[in-house]
Amino acid sequence: MGTIRNEIRRLRFEHGEMTQQELAEKINLTRQTVNAIELGKYSPSLEAAFRIAAVFGKPLESVFHYSEEE
Amino acid sequence: MSFREKTAWISFSSLSVIYASYFWLAFHQRSQGSGPQVAGLVGTIIALVIVQVVLNVAVAIIDPRDAKAPRDEREKLIDLRATRLPYAALAGSVTCACIFGAFNAPIIFKTNALLFLLVIAEILRSGCQIIQYRRTA
Repeated sequence: MGTIRNEIRRLRFEHGEMTQQELAEKINLTRQTVNAIELGKYSPSLEAAFRIAAVFGKPLESVFHYSEEE
Repeated sequence: MSFREKTAWISFSSLSVIYASYFWLAFHQRSQGSGPQVAGLVGTIIALVIVQVVLNVAVAIIDPRDAKAPRDEREKLIDLRATRLPYAALAGSVTCACIFGAFNAPIIFKTNALLFLLVIAEILRSGCQIIQYRRTA
């Protein structure tokens, strides 16, 4: 089973220290879901992943990384 | 803790406490040979509605922004996953209750047996929701 890691926390801070709540409002998710995605406890849908990447103006593969090993 | 998780806790705790009281009373009245407990059942349902409405409104007042937000994809997924196990349990147990209910049991006993299974399924659903919210918190 692989894992999906992400750069959301770093990207938030690079974008004016954006809060989880601000990001959540931009992508129509709850703050708790953004937190769960950041911590790798919830894998977002493809649509949500694209929306997150679009907020930061980055391609999907710059925000999310898939690795085979745990 | 999100608004949906709080509502799951409200549902879990209110159903557990109020219906535990009802079934405890129903069991004791039956063992003492009392008549049907229709008034008790109606009172229980009214008490449950009042408790859940008051607690949900209180939670919504504390965090109105969270309460107004529609369910997102994670919350919908949690709802779906939390419904799967209780549905299977409810379907199986109702089938068993119908088979055993064919025997000559009083109607109030059959009603209480089916209500008990329904309540257990609903408590199980709230419990599954809470577990999944905690796992991804």
